[in-house]
Amino acid sequence: MSAFLKGLGGVALAAAVLYGMQRTTPGYGDITSPRPVTGKLGHRLEGRAFAIDIAKVQLARRVITKGASRDSTFTTSGVWVVVEGTAEALNESLTLLSAEWLGPNGVRYAASQRLSSLPGMLPGQRLEPGLPTPVLMAFEIPESQVAGGTLLIARSAWAPLAEQARIEMAGVKPVDIHSSLVVARAQGRVPWALSAQ
Amino acid sequence: MSAEQRLTWRRRLFAFVVASVGAAAATAISFAMTVYEAAHPKPVPIAAPGQPIDTGRWTITFRDARTGSLPPTGIKPSTPKKLVMVEFDLDNRSASTSNVFSRLFAIEPPIANLPPPAFYLARDKSVAGGLQPDMPERMIAVWEWPAAVPVPEQLRLKVATQIHKQRDNLYGAPGWFDREPAAFVTLAVGTSP
Repeated sequence: MSAFLKGLGGVALAAAVLYGMQRTTPGYGDITSPRPVTGKLGHRLEGRAFAIDIAKVQLARRVITKGASRDSTFTTSGVWVVVEGTAEALNESLTLLSAEWLGPNGVRYAASQRLSSLPGMLPGQRLEPGLPTPVLMAFEIPESQVAGGTLLIARSAWAPLAEQARIEMAGVKPVDIHSSLVVARAQGRVPWALSAQ
Repeated sequence: MSAEQRLTWRRRLFAFVVASVGAAAATAISFAMTVYEAAHPKPVPIAAPGQPIDTGRWTITFRDARTGSLPPTGIKPSTPKKLVMVEFDLDNRSASTSNVFSRLFAIEPPIANLPPPAFYLARDKSVAGGLQPDMPERMIAVWEWPAAVPVPEQLRLKVATQIHKQRDNLYGAPGWFDREPAAFVTLAVGTSP
């Protein structure tokens, strides 16, 4: 009888261990997820391949772009988040193709493609080692996702085990939202000029 | 062979037979169910224009269909084209930005030599990029209709569904996978300049 109970106990234990292992096995997505390097708004964040420093974040209901021939107005059902900073490659020339806004509810908002033609946009800037380059990013997000957001920047959105800068957007709150933000081309080191209206 | 040994052999054989019968029954039932379901597919619901359709990854609401020669950009193409446009509201219900509109819906029955549609964002009157989660947008799908084919008075669209799997069957990677159609929608094709 005791041998039978022992056997039963063994089976139960094995089942419990297997169940636990099955529930806690990391999936392919977890195993190959990017390696995060964390930083904060206003501080230079240095990873292995690139360094990035986010200097300023502005919120607006509309973005107006000044073109050579005509101005365009971009409206949104949420709010525009325009992020300015400086990025630099550390070892070799590269481009940072992926920028995402991670909202407090866990949803990821990719940088808006509607404004991708603006000068100085992050995916269009080729970064060289030793030459800090001004970069611009624009996100379109619901107002509820502004506070408590995190900026995720990587060389590519899909590369497994790639380095991902995670910059906590502390202090960005949906209180001072400009009614419109004008983006114009500028001559000089910074290829754009932002003015709030 | 002693009597005891014969008994254990008999027991083993009995266990083997029980297991085999069980496995065979499970296989037969599962196969029969698959065959039955394939023979009796669930009827695809019919949705009315203006009725939101849940496709898993998206919520789509068809507004109207029209034919014309002017694309949503408002710029007349250099060579005159026959365009068929379908206007709809689209909401991304997934957790990340997506621009995978191409398999959202298809004309049923398929039309030969019809190139895939271009998708425009009504707000910008330009080609749509990725749609942000939880931020519904008015979109316009535009087909360049072949010159030889007359534009139908009614457009019947088959709306596809996708489900999210945390682990797919091949790599164990998360992803979106096609499932049976969500609905059929019939839109009357109006005219516009």
